[in-house]
Amino acid sequence: MSIVNKPGAISTWYLPGILSGLWLTLKYMIRNLFDKKKMPTLNYPEEVYQYGPRFKGNHILTVKKDGSIRCTACMLCATNCPAQCISIVAAESADQRVEKYPIKYEIDILRCVFCGYCEEACPVDAVRMGPEWQTAGLNGSSFSYDIQHLAYRPQLKGGILSRVDDEERHKFGI
Amino acid sequence: METKLLSQHYDKPEYVSLKGYLNLGGYEVLKRALKMEPKAIIDEVKASGLRGRGGAGFPTGTKWTFLPENGEPRYLLCNADEGEPGTFKDRIMLERAPHQLIEGMIISAFAVKSAKSYIYVRGEYQMCIRKLEKAIREAYDAGFLGKNILGSGFTHDMDVYSGAGAYICGEETGMISSLEGKKGQPKLKPPFPAVQGYLAKPTIVNNVETLAAVSLILRDGAAAYRKFGTEKSPGTKLFSVSGNVKKPGVYEVPLGYPLADLIQVECGGLDPGRRLKAVIPGGSSAPVLTAEEAMKATMDYECLQGMGTMLGSGAVIVIDDSNCMVDLLKVIMHFYHHESCGQCTPCREGTGWLHKIVHSIVSGEGRLQDVDLIPRVSRQMMGRTICALSDAAAMPAISFVEKFRDEFEFFVREGRSKVKGHLHA
Amino acid sequence: MPKVKLNGKEIEVKPGTMLIDAFKQAGEDIAHYCYHPGLPTAGVCRLCMVEIEGNPRMQIACNTVVTEGMSARNNSDKVKEAVRWGLNFHLINHPLDCPICDQAGECGLQDQYMKFGKYTPEMSEQKVKKRKVVSLGERVVLDSERCILCSRCVRFTSEITKTNELGIFNRGDHAEIGTFEDKPLNNNYSMNTVDICPVGALTSKDFRFRQRVWYLKDASSICTGCSTGCKIRVYYNEEGLFRIKPEHNPEVNGYWMCDKGRDIYKHVNPEARLQEARWGQVGNWQVKDIAEALREAGEAIRASVRDSHHSKVALVLTGQQTLEELTAAVKFFLSDLNSRDIYHWINNPEEMEKFDGLLFRGDRNPNTKGLLSLLASEKVSATWAQLEGKLNSHEIETLMVVGPEDPGVFPDLAAKLKLFAKAKRLVWLSSARVAAVDQVTTATWQIPLKSFFEKDGTLVNAQGRKQTLRKIATLIPAAVSVDQAVAVMSGREKAVPMGKFELNWKKTNFFVGERGSL
Repeated sequence: MSIVNKPGAISTWYLPGILSGLWLTLKYMIRNLFDKKKMPTLNYPEEVYQYGPRFKGNHILTVKKDGSIRCTACMLCATNCPAQCISIVAAESADQRVEKYPIKYEIDILRCVFCGYCEEACPVDAVRMGPEWQTAGLNGSSFSYDIQHLAYRPQLKGGILSRVDDEERHKFGI
Repeated sequence: METKLLSQHYDKPEYVSLKGYLNLGGYEVLKRALKMEPKAIIDEVKASGLRGRGGAGFPTGTKWTFLPENGEPRYLLCNADEGEPGTFKDRIMLERAPHQLIEGMIISAFAVKSAKSYIYVRGEYQMCIRKLEKAIREAYDAGFLGKNILGSGFTHDMDVYSGAGAYICGEETGMISSLEGKKGQPKLKPPFPAVQGYLAKPTIVNNVETLAAVSLILRDGAAAYRKFGTEKSPGTKLFSVSGNVKKPGVYEVPLGYPLADLIQVECGGLDPGRRLKAVIPGGSSAPVLTAEEAMKATMDYECLQGMGTMLGSGAVIVIDDSNCMVDLLKVIMHFYHHESCGQCTPCREGTGWLHKIVHSIVSGEGRLQDVDLIPRVSRQMMGRTICALSDAAAMPAISFVEKFRDEFEFFVREGRSKVKGHLHA
Repeated sequence: MPKVKLNGKEIEVKPGTMLIDAFKQAGEDIAHYCYHPGLPTAGVCRLCMVEIEGNPRMQIACNTVVTEGMSARNNSDKVKEAVRWGLNFHLINHPLDCPICDQAGECGLQDQYMKFGKYTPEMSEQKVKKRKVVSLGERVVLDSERCILCSRCVRFTSEITKTNELGIFNRGDHAEIGTFEDKPLNNNYSMNTVDICPVGALTSKDFRFRQRVWYLKDASSICTGCSTGCKIRVYYNEEGLFRIKPEHNPEVNGYWMCDKGRDIYKHVNPEARLQEARWGQVGNWQVKDIAEALREAGEAIRASVRDSHHSKVALVLTGQQTLEELTAAVKFFLSDLNSRDIYHWINNPEEMEKFDGLLFRGDRNPNTKGLLSLLASEKVSATWAQLEGKLNSHEIETLMVVGPEDPGVFPDLAAKLKLFAKAKRLVWLSSARVAAVDQVTTATWQIPLKSFFEKDGTLVNAQGRKQTLRKIATLIPAAVSVDQAVAVMSGREKAVPMGKFELNWKKTNFFVGERGSL
């Protein structure tokens, strides 16, 4: 649908248009002065907007019950990542039931496009995208998230438990 | 008419020893046979229509002619690894008449020109092994075995080999592997044992009963032997009857004998107040017959084949109405799961899978779709493997579920057996 | 030549061909696990089912010899159903280990499930548990749960190496691969069992967890580990080389290669390499531009010739370089310098003739035959004793050594370097970084050479067979081949064509472009 606005005679006068614009500004300014609650803007960074829990923001690496990292270093997230921002180095675990785990898991958040494919590809619910969305940092290295940050940053309060439990898996012999 | 050919003297304890055996006319046939042409013996066995008594029912004379004429040493193996649940006829034969087998074997070996034979006995049959070894020693001392037997110029040696408890070693190539000192696993066919068997040499493998019957055929002639049994299944056969009958045991009847008579007349019928539910006519691997089918069946290769089951080794398992078919199938499946050699995938995984399904039904965790899954899995196991163990597991599974479906469905729905008074009821 | 009809396609095959080979020859897909062309038939996986006309039962193609006029098909619904169930049986007890399994990506079960399976699994019972992460020996790890008991590895150790370490223990679905009384699997061909394992039951300790296989690119090459010259496949990505597997070459190595040959990638990777040209002596090394270093070295060599009436230069060669390179070096001495002081450095004289009867030879140089025939055709007959005499009497002013590519197979390296240091100046050309060279007490140029991975050329193996080496990529930009080096040293060229780091096959996600196609 296209709307064609034919310039009428009044619009060529300009002044009514300018005045109506100024009136709108003035109206909101006065309203905000008296009723702060209705004000839609936030005073970032003092005030931070909270998105819903399903918002796909910063990555989280989940942990097992014993607090160790859930990721098995299968590299499906890295394989699937269209921005190629995940880099993983796997190693052999001393625990034979774990076998393989990541010794390095880094996400270059500046390259990440927050598409969510990593979360989708993960077979063990090890990587999730959480509601945090602030990625500001002071230097380059703060945009490269390592395991420490992804799994154990203070905001996560000791780590998020993975839904896929190895013990259960071993018990049922799957 | 006297129908006891093989088991005529089984009730006489002295028949076990060489002296007793000779007194009752033993080794007379051997003396005659050694004067014959080997070819003539094979022709006589062929004419008698003797079929392998181990389970497959392959014509024995025909089997012997498969040996290649290339001058290689040949082996004769006697399959006494009787492992099929329900079968115990070979054990009776070995315990009561070891010389009967030895005589039959020497004649057969002479016919197929073999200088060495082995009797592969099931490891659990320790008494049979002892009796056989003693009998072989006696036969050596009497000159029936060894170099230049009875002055005929024919040399033959015989040995007993004890199995180690694997059902699969009763399969001929499995037995050959075991005899060679390898893991008892069936071998790929072709090449067939008659061409490349024990130690890659031509080998004939025959059941105890088959080899013992050879001397009978030569004693009375093929025509006399053919008087017993039916046109296509001539002769008599030992049937091991077990289960819910009054007198279980080994009975020798002519082939073609009605199953109903075998149960009612020979074995004295069922326990009072019990009704026949089913009969497994040929060992645990044969598909089950319902009571109505069993009443119509005659015990010969053709009739049972026509009913979708088989004569097998002649192990009749009689099942009355106090048995739960689901529980029974679990026992059979456990057996095949335990005995699969693990070589071919469909059998290795399939027998385990079937056992687990039936087990979960019996433990009350079955799902309704499992009842359909059993025959579907079984059908995919049939005819897909090197040997017939996979089929042996699949056939009873299919027949049990198809003929007693109501019991399976009841068990799944109610979590208990349909049979009143049963352990799982 | 029997004519057979496979899936309606008529082809002619050699007499005695197995039906499965005929199917492959006809380009028809056929599922199989236990069959391997280099091993005797086992016929246990029961997947290569075919329907043969006139035979009511389905047969396995791997144990059926084709006969004239045979007509077989494996695309009927009956066969497809059988194969689907065959896969189902294989997978019911197979653990869901794919995320941590090294075989994922090149796994027979994954590939054939996608090709022939795609059924809905109905197994809801507990799987059989078996041993996991069992070390079988120095190089191989076993995971019994993943094993599908195809018996390829068992047949390999019994029929190819005849060492019989492996066997199948227990019965039925509890059967598992193992070694008798945990005697280790340590023969020199143990890694072939990893290659032939169609699933991830046997994995290589060396490669384990280092890369996912879909990140690797592969290229064909020749093994330089010994004088057999097996055809190999090198797997690499931008992070370096990761593993080497044999490739089928009926004339040389069949389907196999030895474990020692699989280590040759280690001395190609940059961390083991001489990265740049250097000049100096012990305690005082300075990095030089490669062309400048070569010019200086060349001038030094030519000066030694110019200044004297008789030759004061010598050339030491090893059988580690290609025929082209060796020829260039020999020609440089013979025609440019008019010197016949060319010597063959034999690294392990007492082992040269050894052969294990299968593939591995004691002569750990890929081109000894080539060097010997080159020296013979140029009638160079100088012996090592002569060189030793000349060095000990300090007759040699400038010594040029074309050193080893793999210093690991030169046990006499340190001793020989002490001898070389008796020359006034040493020109050391080698692709490997050798710590002993840094300790040399005489003025030395270290020139980085290219490895077999980075150059074209010809190698002559122990059979006298000429095999062509192809360049795959460049790892060390400054490295030169001997012929390039000689061209500058002799003054014919002023500069060398600088290589570029070319290992740029990005370790990338090729699934992204194919999303949805699986």
